[in-house]
Amino acid sequence: MKRLVLAEFAEPEPMVEAARKLRDSGREGLDAYSPYPVHGIDDALKLPRSKVPLVALIAGLSGAAGGYVLQWWTNAVDYELNVANRPPHAWPTNIPVTFESGVLLCALTLFFGSLFYFFGLPRTYHPVFEAEEFRSASLDKFWISAEMKDGEDPRDLERTLLELGARRVTHVEGEE
Amino acid sequence: MAVSAATRLEARRALEPLPLLEGVQDDGTINKTLLDYVWRKPGKGWLLLVGLGLAGTGLLTLAVVVTVAKGIGMWGNNIPVAWAFGIINFVWWIGIGHAGTLISAILLLFQQKWRTSINRFAEAMTLFAVLQAALFPVLHTGRPWFAIYWLFPYPSTNRIWPQFKSPLMWDVFAVSTYFITSLLFWYLGLIPDLAALRDSSTSRWMRRIYGILSFGWRGSARHWHHYKIAYLLLAGLATPLVLSVHTIVSYDFAVSVVPGWHETIFPPYFVAGAVFSGFAMVMTLMVPARRFLRLKHVVTARHLEAMCKIMLATSLIVGYGYLLEHFLSWYSGNPYDFYQYANRRGILYGPFKSAAQDPYIPIFWLMVFCNVVVPSIFWSKWGRTNVYVMWIAAIFINIGMWCERFVIVVISLHRDYLPSNWALYKPTWVDLSLLFGTICFFSLLFLLFLKFLPAVAVQEVKELRHELQQAHERHEIPDFSQELVHVTELEAGEEDKR
Repeated sequence: MKRLVLAEFAEPEPMVEAARKLRDSGREGLDAYSPYPVHGIDDALKLPRSKVPLVALIAGLSGAAGGYVLQWWTNAVDYELNVANRPPHAWPTNIPVTFESGVLLCALTLFFGSLFYFFGLPRTYHPVFEAEEFRSASLDKFWISAEMKDGEDPRDLERTLLELGARRVTHVEGEE
Repeated sequence: MAVSAATRLEARRALEPLPLLEGVQDDGTINKTLLDYVWRKPGKGWLLLVGLGLAGTGLLTLAVVVTVAKGIGMWGNNIPVAWAFGIINFVWWIGIGHAGTLISAILLLFQQKWRTSINRFAEAMTLFAVLQAALFPVLHTGRPWFAIYWLFPYPSTNRIWPQFKSPLMWDVFAVSTYFITSLLFWYLGLIPDLAALRDSSTSRWMRRIYGILSFGWRGSARHWHHYKIAYLLLAGLATPLVLSVHTIVSYDFAVSVVPGWHETIFPPYFVAGAVFSGFAMVMTLMVPARRFLRLKHVVTARHLEAMCKIMLATSLIVGYGYLLEHFLSWYSGNPYDFYQYANRRGILYGPFKSAAQDPYIPIFWLMVFCNVVVPSIFWSKWGRTNVYVMWIAAIFINIGMWCERFVIVVISLHRDYLPSNWALYKPTWVDLSLLFGTICFFSLLFLLFLKFLPAVAVQEVKELRHELQQAHERHEIPDFSQELVHVTELEAGEEDKR
């Protein structure tokens, strides 16, 4: 069971400021929600550098290598094809498919890697959805969530968030 | 000196670029105008068009069944014109499919803000156009159920593999990669908007459906953190990809030895032609859609003008390609090549004077008219700002680009080296039904997209609006910029009151 305090802000800048202050006061388990990417929130929440580019690079190189090996092995090793007496392993003719395979594997990895691994989706349930007001998070409002420790009273944190400029606050409980 | 603020605003209009977003907007009004039509009841016009689209799709199905059941003999293809409508339509649709990724990816990397209002629309158009394109080569194999082992390298009992030195194999990889990458790019952009639809829905079922489609996206900063970079990287990948696809399509021709095909200019000339026809199709669809979906405040005159300028630029490249082809056919000193182009133009002299008049000559001149003469209307500001003019010009360009592929495929093949081998080509009703049917099927898919998904990237428009607002508050945009007319008009009103 997870307990979260949620706070809604009308504008992105106060939300970033509030997140920064909470993070600086040593609070763990913070997250922010917005309809579009908000400038400065990565820094406020001290998020580590994204590993997406590294994963994409590895996928792209593997795809390209796989594409090249596939053409070389099928046309020059396993079953030699003589086309107009060109050498069985004529590397310039392998470039287009090598490039396309690299792009294909990289694109698939970027999409499904982000979705399954980096976002932890598909997941149609999350404790934040317990609050009906939270529907504005994808439309026009900006939200912060903070995890409660066992036995902690949510009202203290709710008061702090209101002082930091939140328009309204609420708390939810749900299975992780 | 009582010059009112409103007059001053009026005076600066002539010099400044037109605004990207019109009127006073905030996140609420953007949601209302860009998401709400999904919840409205479909109009009569939409239902009528869907009905027509379904009827045309029925015709397409019939033509496909006839082709598969009776064979390729139902088409007008012959020897020497073995590649006719199947390849013309394939290249035409693939070309149309190029604007989407160009707008989304290349303009994103160049930070062209005007892409934001039209990228979703153009990406959807790309996907649906590539779907139509893929149909033709598959049917052209005659027995598509066998095509799997000709085209995909899986260990079949034949023990023989696909021939990777052939441009046709490269094409299979290029087109399927292009389709998959465009689909993923489009869907990744769509996820936050699907979540917005889920959260603005009024019925339980819609909330569930859009909830599943959005994979439960909740706009967490931890997700946006990865999302931004994944989106940018996909754009970076799509940029060389979009250039590679039509380059490889042009290799299908350029790598052969047929006069009129064997040309080094083909890759850049095909890519420019693809962008040209893609933008023309975006324009053809956007002008009515922005009116009926009431999108004029986000797809402004500035967007339309920018598209006109791109069409003008690519039309010049294409026109240069035509000129250079004809020059090289003379400069190469190759009589077969020279004959080919003289025959297209219908202007025959020297040893070829005796050649018979060719029935396809008007198609060449129609192509020149549609692709070179008509777009020159965009040199004038009037042509770039009048929606009727640009819409009609865009339709001409669509026709012209189809003619270009007819000229390349049919005219080159029907008179090659041996006069005893020459033959004319005539399409049958099955060919014409396939072309017309794919246009209807494309329209049907597009109409469904316009009804059930947000046609404008809502999330990106909100971000753009916020950026403009911020830049104004920090005085980074000069106060006389038209971008801020909506902000300053408010202030001007207050000033006048005082």
